[in-house]
Amino acid sequence: MIVLGIESSCDETAAAVVENGEKVLSSIVSSQTDIHHRYGGVVPELASRKHIESIVPVVNEAIQASGRILSEIDGVAVTQGPGLIGCLLVGFSFAKAWAWARDIPVVGVDHLEGHINSVFICDNPPQFPFVALLVSGGHTSIYHVTSHTQARVMGRTRDDAAGEAFDKVAKMLNLGYPGGSIIDELAARGDPKKIKFPRSYLDKNGFDFSFSGMKTAVNRYIQNHQDEYQEQAADIAAGFQDAVTDVLCFKLMKAAQEAGCNHIAIVGGVAANKGLREKIRSQAVDQNLTLHIPPIDLCGDNAAMIAASGFHYLKAGHQLPLDADVYSRIQK
Amino acid sequence: MNRIVTIITHSPEETRFLGQYLGEALIPGMVITLDGDLGSGKTTFVQGIGKGLGISDDDYITSPTYNLINEYSGRHCLFHIDLYRLIDPLELDDLGLEEIIYSQGISAIEWADKLPAKTLTSYLSVKIVVTGEETRKVIITACGRENTDLIEDIRDNFKEKKWH
Repeated sequence: MIVLGIESSCDETAAAVVENGEKVLSSIVSSQTDIHHRYGGVVPELASRKHIESIVPVVNEAIQASGRILSEIDGVAVTQGPGLIGCLLVGFSFAKAWAWARDIPVVGVDHLEGHINSVFICDNPPQFPFVALLVSGGHTSIYHVTSHTQARVMGRTRDDAAGEAFDKVAKMLNLGYPGGSIIDELAARGDPKKIKFPRSYLDKNGFDFSFSGMKTAVNRYIQNHQDEYQEQAADIAAGFQDAVTDVLCFKLMKAAQEAGCNHIAIVGGVAANKGLREKIRSQAVDQNLTLHIPPIDLCGDNAAMIAASGFHYLKAGHQLPLDADVYSRIQK
Repeated sequence: MNRIVTIITHSPEETRFLGQYLGEALIPGMVITLDGDLGSGKTTFVQGIGKGLGISDDDYITSPTYNLINEYSGRHCLFHIDLYRLIDPLELDDLGLEEIIYSQGISAIEWADKLPAKTLTSYLSVKIVVTGEETRKVIITACGRENTDLIEDIRDNFKEKKWH
């Protein structure tokens, strides 16, 4: 089954063509990284107008790049929520109309479930049940995943998402915003033991996160070391990254233990962070766990993961009615 | 009539409690703007407002920086909005922000200075100033014609407050 996936929940307009929920034939993301830089790092790509401008060319490009023709597409999967209503509606309305015109089924996919399913787009997918750490600019959660369409939240952040804390620390170090990936590069050149930042575990037996205090600790350090912090930037980045990844790694390992899973996964934009991948990889080896991470270009928001998720709903015969609507909030 | 009140809080818990007191007194359609440096406790204050509005403890009030608008349901709907990532005022139309601000819900807006002048007519301004590791100066101002009673009420209740 060949599925066209469409994603427009926040910053990115994306489309992809995926075969049988695992083979990516094309994946197009209208990322505007160069524009971000021109505006001093602030993301200007939020407007639903931008999604309206991008959706047709992005979908066309995805179909063209897939090497398939229109009539070979069997169904459409589109992000239904959570996200910004105005942005979601662009992709959602487009998908419904497109599928209706072609007389093929369309299904709605939860954006977070899409991230979890992104891990099946690799050579060595996990076995159910497994524990997934979803870590991105807007979300940080741990899930116990029992099927492609069933995942239970074990814990989530109570304040900032980990990716957001990275972005804000980058901003404090004058590295621009968003600058999470720059922190990763900088940290590789610094000494993580030189400046020690606190680890916030909350309840060590629970799986909730809190990153706000760690971000504030970095801010306080910078305020107190105004003269030196520029030269220490690499050590600050390394110390901060070490603190955040320690907590993420600890909770993921503990969750795998509690859920009795031998397979673990990291998904979401921050799964591209090398420091995090390496730390979790080495701990996974120590604890005899098999680690799964999607390809780097499928860690951030994309439509291939939406198509991969939607495939399972289409296969089960689901279909959105024409009057279905999007949702802004996380579904419990 | 005095339109401004300043409260000193000594911990995140106290900042949250002040937010909760305000949350309990809020009426539908009210708008609160929040100013303060990174880590000053804006999200903590909004968590208090949420508690005051009766939002379930299971609904964590998290930072809206990335998602732009977070929505919660309590006694009244709470929209927690962060305009930090916006640069083009035109984008505000696209976000449907006016519909939210002029709705019957409560809007708590960070980086509200990005709104076009005169978008807000009557609102509460909350400024949080970092004065020590955990101490904060919270300045609440009634902007526009309304809400002066609320300022009086907060002053009466918190001026002599013995935090425990």
